[in-house]
Amino acid sequence: MDAVEKANAERQRRWVKDQKVGEGTYAVVYRGRELATGRKIAIKKIKVGQFKDGLDMSAVREVKYLRELQHPNIIELLDVFSSKTNLNLVLEFLDTDLEMIIKDRSLVFLPADIKSWMAMTFRGLEFCHRNFILHRDLKPNNLLIASDGQLKIADFGLARDAADPGYKMTCQVITRWYRPPELLFGCRYYSTAVDIWSVGCIFAELMLRIPYLPGESDMDQLKTIFRALGTPTDEEWPGHTKLPDYVSVGQFPRTPLRDLFTAASGDTLNLLSKCIIFEPRKRISARDALYHPYFFALPYPTHPSKLPKTAAQTAAASRPPDEVDGNVDPGGGAPAGVGKAAPPKKLKRKLSGHDLSRNIARKLDFTAS
Amino acid sequence: MQQQPPTSPDVSSAAKSPLFQSSTQYRNWRFSVEQLKATRAALNQASVAAIRNTFESDSPGSSSDVHFLDANEEHLLVKLYIIKISQLCGHFRFPEEVEATGITYLKRFYLKNTVMDWHPKNVMLTALYLATKTTNHPISLESYTANIPRTNASDVLDLEFLVAQSLAFEFAVWHAHRALWGIWLDIQDLPQAPPHEELQRIHDTAMQHIRTSRLTDVELIYPPSQIALACLSLAHPEIAAFWARSKNADTALEAIESIKRTITRDGDTPSVDVVREIDRHLKICKNPEKVVGSKAYLAKRAREEKEAELKRKKKAENVRKATEQGNPFGEVLVGQANLDDDD
Amino acid sequence: MSTNRTNAASWLRGTTIRKGTTTPATRSHTPQTQTSSSIVFSGGVKDGSGRTSEYFSMDDQCPVCKSDRYLNPKLRLLVSSCYHKMCESCIDRLYTLGPAPCPVCGKTLKKMTFIPQTFEDLVVEKEVAIRRKLAKEFNKRREDFPDLRSYDDYLQEVEDITFNLINEIDIPETQARIAAYRKENAAFIELNQQREEAYVQALKEQEEAERRERQLRAEEIRRAEEEERDAREGERRALIDNLENSDADAARLVAQARAEALKRAAARTAAAHQAVFAQQQETMRLRAAQSAVVVPDQPHVPLLDGYYAYEDLCGLRSSYFDPASDAVRRDKEGIMRAGGYRVEEAWERALRYAVAGLDITPPLGEVSMPLPITSRVDADVAMASV
Repeated sequence: MDAVEKANAERQRRWVKDQKVGEGTYAVVYRGRELATGRKIAIKKIKVGQFKDGLDMSAVREVKYLRELQHPNIIELLDVFSSKTNLNLVLEFLDTDLEMIIKDRSLVFLPADIKSWMAMTFRGLEFCHRNFILHRDLKPNNLLIASDGQLKIADFGLARDAADPGYKMTCQVITRWYRPPELLFGCRYYSTAVDIWSVGCIFAELMLRIPYLPGESDMDQLKTIFRALGTPTDEEWPGHTKLPDYVSVGQFPRTPLRDLFTAASGDTLNLLSKCIIFEPRKRISARDALYHPYFFALPYPTHPSKLPKTAAQTAAASRPPDEVDGNVDPGGGAPAGVGKAAPPKKLKRKLSGHDLSRNIARKLDFTAS
Repeated sequence: MQQQPPTSPDVSSAAKSPLFQSSTQYRNWRFSVEQLKATRAALNQASVAAIRNTFESDSPGSSSDVHFLDANEEHLLVKLYIIKISQLCGHFRFPEEVEATGITYLKRFYLKNTVMDWHPKNVMLTALYLATKTTNHPISLESYTANIPRTNASDVLDLEFLVAQSLAFEFAVWHAHRALWGIWLDIQDLPQAPPHEELQRIHDTAMQHIRTSRLTDVELIYPPSQIALACLSLAHPEIAAFWARSKNADTALEAIESIKRTITRDGDTPSVDVVREIDRHLKICKNPEKVVGSKAYLAKRAREEKEAELKRKKKAENVRKATEQGNPFGEVLVGQANLDDDD
Repeated sequence: MSTNRTNAASWLRGTTIRKGTTTPATRSHTPQTQTSSSIVFSGGVKDGSGRTSEYFSMDDQCPVCKSDRYLNPKLRLLVSSCYHKMCESCIDRLYTLGPAPCPVCGKTLKKMTFIPQTFEDLVVEKEVAIRRKLAKEFNKRREDFPDLRSYDDYLQEVEDITFNLINEIDIPETQARIAAYRKENAAFIELNQQREEAYVQALKEQEEAERRERQLRAEEIRRAEEEERDAREGERRALIDNLENSDADAARLVAQARAEALKRAAARTAAAHQAVFAQQQETMRLRAAQSAVVVPDQPHVPLLDGYYAYEDLCGLRSSYFDPASDAVRRDKEGIMRAGGYRVEEAWERALRYAVAGLDITPPLGEVSMPLPITSRVDADVAMASV
């Protein structure tokens, strides 16, 4: 036992904590660096012994999956060490996430940018699915962006292996706005298609710059989905009325995607529509998505290094590492992902000619015009 | 104008790494027969020396007539508790996955620890509980302990972190029973595929062998596909051979013979008398430092407390010095990681 | 502690308003409460935006006349300069005719010196007021000091003075220190005060600009919507007129009108697309200008990792004899299908396990047990040396 402890102590010495950047219910996140190389890292310290059932399930899942998955589009777990009462995960440090980039109205997205992000997301997701792992918490907030522009899927706290036949899974997964209708209807036997729905919602959000299907409650979420995509018939989605929590939320007509995504190309809408098909088995798989004509059509996906960056990212890149402003982010951020820099300071932002001519964000109105 | 999508796998000529080879199981929990023997012997010797020391420092000469367990006896005891895991799983109706994972955790634990420090009785309960979590079949601690006689929550939880640590937090396990399922499905594709009744018998027999194999060390040496093939071969040698040949896996055939021998030789249940004897010895030779409330335990705690106190004093001293020299708030916590154990 | 200094200064700044007069350089309006007195007591503590809420509690009771909110719903307690509370009617009654002693401590008070309470604790109220006053003069920033130590010393001095003033220790000596500082640092004080004002000004301008932009946008939307509505109205009316006045076939007219409406809608979206396109061109030009080295975009490659998942070794059949999954596949209720569960995924996984590592030779010999490799870095090194 002492040998194990000693090994841990040695391992611990390779990593240095610099500053606390966030705190969540079961973990504290620090920004730090690798002593030997100066590489920026995040250390997620998980307190053990807090819950009446012992080690927290989310912690267990994160460690289990991050240990096994190594892929350029999945966050990298560099090391794990533990002290008497703490479990420390050393992860690569990522400045920002897709949510912050979408919300930063000073950034303009080109179609090529969206293509690039989608490609990276699909690649990371395809790798999870190739390993028969469902992520079950995909949202822009959990897609972290590195300083070189690479997108990485993070937060495996809700992930699990695909179930063996006949074994139930919980339907209370995925953040509501990105949750597919089969989960909202309470189904306990599902597949990797649930992640594809989430990616479809993210795809739409990248184009609209606001969440595509923001419901205010589970019931409202269903209504929002059906208002946008039409209520499914039994031919479209066989058997859905038999799902455990099925309720009728109203009949809405199907409106063409073209009406909302006016500037999108045919290929774009084709791929998007394939991600948000009602019947889960018909939804496109991650691998097929990567082979979809959308990605091969012009323009080429933007090279990751040229993707839009938030002001904080550009600033962080130009400043020497020690002076990065690490504001403590109380409450938010930490449970979801890893150390992120503070949100860009709003003050002192100059308005450019750009902003005034930008298209105005309207609240999406799915009611018949 | 569109670019034609490529039709073949499109990675550069760099060698592709097979998925199993990138798993923690392949990288960190694979050993040779000799390594296993050597590791267990080393662990055993080290712990015997340490315990003997504790005995001696308490009352000199007390250790001379104590029978300390040897590596084989430890191994036998662990084997018994592997069987107990299966029984418990039957009682709880846990899925095969949970049982297999719990057993693997127990085995791996005792490659890092000795029975004289940690009695398999509680480690077994904890390993199984942890397995329910990592395989996504969680059960509340309450329901778990309620259904096991003479067990309370702390018996299970106290060791959880220790077990996880000893596993190096590597929780994912590739099991042979799933590989067997795969082979069994695949042989239905062969021209020589047996009829359904035969298939069913083959499956059940092979699964029996898989369960027996869990009592041996094979999972620590061979990949699950080979173990599964060996079990299939024990149930129906011809079909197993056909299948292996269809996959061009001739190299596997040699390994399979070795596995079959091991399963047959080591897959037996230890005799009750032998185990009882070992348990009796264990009561005497177990490490007093780990027994809560014993003299040695308290002495060790006192030592640890002193160390912690020294650390705290040092830290306070550093702060005091910093204040006097003018920088009480400091700028960056460089190099403080060592002191940071439980901040 | 030091980083918040500038923010603290602006926060502590407050102003007094007199009803009926316009006050320059302050923002919007402090919530005005109904009172019977002729002077509105404002001031007290404000935050940078000029909006504060007054402290209010259901248990408020005037210590002098003992009226509470139940008897007098409009009860408003104000605080004297010696930090004792009193309701407005008492203040009116006692001080309208001129200065008079405080009923609690006897100190001579004037009507003007009563301010509304912002904080529940009067000690805090006093401290905040003192800090506010001090901050007007002790307004140095980190940049004004050569090093961190001297800045911290300055802050320490300010804290000392504050402490003394709050607790009324060594008042004359402390006042002397303040005076001394004032004399020595007159220039600094002036400079920093100007800086403060400039900052506030800039903030204001920025908010103004943002507000203007928001208004502009809202107007644009309104205008666009109105135009659409008018256009549609016009079309409808034209159609109705046409139907009434002309002899032509009604159906044809309607179809014509619809076609024209579509054309107009198409024109509008085309115009919108033009705008978007122009903006994108602009963005691309900007980006090209910004980056020194132009990294070309690469054509899409579906999979970029180097993993081999044994695809060539396992072929999935459409169906197997598999009692374990019979019930699921039968799926009488159809909920497996509705939920999207695919037995094929479980089969694929099993098939992969069946072939994974089939050709691996087991480790041999007594190589020394390596420390468990838990980090990728170690693994790479170990792999490389094998």
